Amino acid sequence: MQINIKDRLDSIINNIDQLPSIPEVASKIINMVNNPDVSFKQVADEISKDQPMTANILKLSNSAYFSKGKEISSIDRAIVTLGLKEVKNIVMVIATKPVLDKPVTGYDLDKGALWAHGLLVANISSNIAVLKKRKDVADVVFTGGIIHNVGKVVVSLYIKMAYRDILECVQSKGLSFTAAEKEIMGYNHLEIGEKILKKWKFPPVLQSIVRYYSEPDKAPAENRFEVCTVHIANGLALMAGIGLGSDGLYHEFNQKALATVGLTEPEINELYAKIPEMIKQMKDLQ
Amino acid sequence: MNNILINVGVAQVKASSTPTVLRTILGSCVGICIYDRMKKIGGLAHILLPNDQSSGATPEKYAETAIPLLVNQLIKDGAKKEFLSAKIAGGASMFKFESNIALGQIGDRNIEETKKMLNKLGVPLLEEDVGGNTGRVIDFFLEDGRLKVKASGNEKYYYKV
Repeated sequence: MQINIKDRLDSIINNIDQLPSIPEVASKIINMVNNPDVSFKQVADEISKDQPMTANILKLSNSAYFSKGKEISSIDRAIVTLGLKEVKNIVMVIATKPVLDKPVTGYDLDKGALWAHGLLVANISSNIAVLKKRKDVADVVFTGGIIHNVGKVVVSLYIKMAYRDILECVQSKGLSFTAAEKEIMGYNHLEIGEKILKKWKFPPVLQSIVRYYSEPDKAPAENRFEVCTVHIANGLALMAGIGLGSDGLYHEFNQKALATVGLTEPEINELYAKIPEMIKQMKDLQ
Repeated sequence: MNNILINVGVAQVKASSTPTVLRTILGSCVGICIYDRMKKIGGLAHILLPNDQSSGATPEKYAETAIPLLVNQLIKDGAKKEFLSAKIAGGASMFKFESNIALGQIGDRNIEETKKMLNKLGVPLLEEDVGGNTGRVIDFFLEDGRLKVKASGNEKYYYKV
């Protein structure tokens, strides 16, 4: 293990100012939408306090991916037409883009690559939820898909320093890249991602997705469907080369995740074949 | 010479001439680079799957249909079939695909169908950088047909045309 890297990661997670931030309104909205006692009006009022957020929501409400065909010109209309959960997804896209739409050089990802990967994983995940008659969690796995590997943004610098050792560890010990990250740096990007979500005060299910998406067996039972969904979507996106970096395909594709989600072979083949169309659908979110 | 970089996305076919560089990123997909060494024009097909099981609406997506599409495009642009040659890259697989579903071997199947189609069309395959678990960023330089493959932090060049 490279002790100096572990020490620096220790100090980063113990000083949350060093972890990325998102606008406060995003943390508020995600928790309000989960609370059955909160009304449409309260959410609309909360959003309206943030002028740039409001303008961006209206723009994305009319984008190819989110639009329902009708022109939307107010937050009230957006909530009525698209629903609270969809508006929350739009808030998440807007709030997390500045964090994720950056070069992540440790993983050899150019600007835009991590973001495009998150969008695609979000889209595949939400498709899986709908396909498996779990529309109730489609919005959760969408958000989870966008941010599942947010920890990469923080560990990138250290991956750069430790890359040769991590790859050596993958090849000599037969570990996945993520397991080798932990072996060499004392932490993997999933653990760091979980800390970031705690800072953002995101709900437990999203923390589980970020913490366990590459090791879904370890996820708490109550969130396992959501975690497995993002696990599968991430695997498909990487195989298609979207957001594929220096960690390559040194990742596991877990058999039990397919069983947990209940995806059949024809279903998974069809999802994979639809990836180019899903990328096109989300072009104007990039 | 200042090269013009063109990114080729998944399920896209692009052809051009010097001073263009065609770039793509490959996981289990295969990138097929075909070059006319006399005319110095070439193209890149980035295929996702070996064969079309459905509608036939997107020939660029499949090795079976994208490769003939690319060859025809190059001939239309003035290439001569006898001067064409190919280099391929990609076709990696997930490190541990703990399932017996066919998608786990999609990289190998993409490579196999690619070779079959090149053979069928009589385009010689000169170089290949395929398989394994690594992602690849490839740059196909149309000034001389060389191919740069960046994988796991290392760069490798393939010059045969």
